[in-house]
Amino acid sequence: MDPTGLSIAFSLLTDPVVLGLIVAGTVAGVIIGALPGLSSSMGVALLLPFSLYLDPVPAIALLSALYCAGTFGGSITAVLINAPGAPPAVATAFDGYPMALKGEAGRALGIAAVSSVSGGIVSVLTLLLAAPLLARIAYSFGPPEYFALGVFALSMLASIGAESPVKNLVGGCLGLLIATVGIDLTTGVERFTFGVPQLLEGVQFIPVLIGLFAVTELLNQARHLGQESVIAAISALRLPSREDFRRVRSTILRSSGIGVFVGVLPAEGSTMAAMIGYNEAKRWSKAPEEFGKGSIEGVAGPEAANNAATGGAMVPTLALGIPGSATAAVILGGLQVQGLRPGPYLFEEQPSLLYGIFLAMLLANILFLFIGLFGAKVFSRISLAPRTLLWPTVFALCLVGAYGLNQSMVDVWIMIVSGLVGYVLKRNGFGPAPIIMGIVLGGLIETSLAQSMIIFDQRWSGFLGRPIAATLLLLAVIGVGGPRLRRCLGGLLTRIARSARRT
Amino acid sequence: MKRLLHLLRNRDSLAGLAIVAVCAVAWRLTAGFDEVPAMLSQNVPPTFFPRLVIAAAALLGGLLIAGGIRRRAGDMARRTAEGGPSARHGEAGRAKTGDPATPHEKSDRAALSPVFWATAGVVAAAGVLIPLAGTLPTLGLVAIVLPLLWGERRFRLVAALALGLPGAIYAVFTVALGVRFPVGQVWNLL
Repeated sequence: MDPTGLSIAFSLLTDPVVLGLIVAGTVAGVIIGALPGLSSSMGVALLLPFSLYLDPVPAIALLSALYCAGTFGGSITAVLINAPGAPPAVATAFDGYPMALKGEAGRALGIAAVSSVSGGIVSVLTLLLAAPLLARIAYSFGPPEYFALGVFALSMLASIGAESPVKNLVGGCLGLLIATVGIDLTTGVERFTFGVPQLLEGVQFIPVLIGLFAVTELLNQARHLGQESVIAAISALRLPSREDFRRVRSTILRSSGIGVFVGVLPAEGSTMAAMIGYNEAKRWSKAPEEFGKGSIEGVAGPEAANNAATGGAMVPTLALGIPGSATAAVILGGLQVQGLRPGPYLFEEQPSLLYGIFLAMLLANILFLFIGLFGAKVFSRISLAPRTLLWPTVFALCLVGAYGLNQSMVDVWIMIVSGLVGYVLKRNGFGPAPIIMGIVLGGLIETSLAQSMIIFDQRWSGFLGRPIAATLLLLAVIGVGGPRLRRCLGGLLTRIARSARRT
Repeated sequence: MKRLLHLLRNRDSLAGLAIVAVCAVAWRLTAGFDEVPAMLSQNVPPTFFPRLVIAAAALLGGLLIAGGIRRRAGDMARRTAEGGPSARHGEAGRAKTGDPATPHEKSDRAALSPVFWATAGVVAAAGVLIPLAGTLPTLGLVAIVLPLLWGERRFRLVAALALGLPGAIYAVFTVALGVRFPVGQVWNLL
């Protein structure tokens, strides 16, 4: 840990403007998380163009605070209206809403807030310790290792959220292909530019991001008009009693560990962490039969895990430049647009930025405990804001955000086309996160592959001579083919067993 | 052939076919990239990476097609075994008797409402309108059209949004951040 960087970061965070931005990011995150349809990924994507008017530290601190708070915000609507504000809160609704129906909404939200804060703090401390260590390891990485790491990150797409691993991988390839648009840096040749001069520098990341997350969701909302939500009554939000805390403390600790681990894995995000956190909470519970009927462990497990995954996801993002989740990919894009290249050298060159991010996340976690405890009643009302007015506002912000970056109408069109295509893709089971991951990783993968091929004199077998690269590529193969291979082997063994029984 | 076409009629296979088609077009486009001497490109031509990605995507598209066919064939075999309407009356009979479709098929069939299409039209129209009418008037128009389209009938609220939204955006972006939005050709003509 660099004490100088830490002290500079502390002094930066005492700046009233930075502090104000972190508070604003936290409040905005809780609101965005609480609004059904708006996720922290979309919130960060919408805020990204505006953050570019700020210096790097306040800009990334703002986005990081929003990321942490947005993950928690989703639990408010999950508990009160059984409509998770964001995907990571899906598992929270399983037991949070039944608790609310029993008149225990305040208790459920109290458990959710405390679990989220605990998970968040554990993850930030992990980030503080693990990211510099990982960065130190990454010093020994050359182009082959970075290529293998990029491929490994993409292979992890096979196991994230949406309905089909193959579709996630196709999304990743689409993102990689989008990243090739523009002038090839090695040869200076134009690729897929169609004579549009604005495309010579490539497709801007931010308009695609806004289109895929926000415009796609706008169209999705247009399909689900008329669905009304019923809000459960909330009298007062309660901190967990000593008995409650005793019951959930081991669940919180376990889920925090799970969340950090899942978050560190490239591409895996809070949603998967929350689902595993919920399942493990049920598996280890002394009263698993209460799950689904209003168990406090069923609220604590996913909430601790999904918030722990936020800090975990930032570890590979900052140390290696490989995003740990979709939102982390957006933040990574923000760092790149700010002219910073995440990776080991960032720790050497900009320690204050990194420690600023850590401290901003820590502060956001502490802040949303108070915001969650004292403002849940207000936020539960915000969650019922009329969609008819909310989404036109979001779309206006999309237009302005896409235009504002380069003041170019081409970016607006890229955003609109991304949104329309993104909707078609989403309707057919292709989520936006893999495409974003592909775009973010595209440059790194292509450059490092080209450099590797030059180093290895065009021999692919050269990768086998690099232990780290070979291991990562092997893990990627296992990640993609593992589940299929296991199913095939399982089927084969069953058939053999059946035929043996017959004979 | 007819059976194959029938088996291809499912969401995954159609998506896979679309992916393969897009890959074919993209591959064709890479053939149009400028040629570079091997010395300059250090034996890594500009087509190398895009073609690698396109090939991978086409392979995955093929897997989707195969997966969709396998699932559809399985569904059909199951229905036949259960003596369902498709077995008794063929596909036409299935449609007539309203036989329960698989979730995938249901999703295929779910029709998009006119409001959805109108919303998509507003999204696309905004891109056309900004250079013509200017950004702020377009935002005001969006703030009127979208809520009304989505069934909002509290006209005062809509009016407040139509005025407040462009006003707030002007204050924050143009006044505070110095972003210059397109004024619109129409206003230049006046």
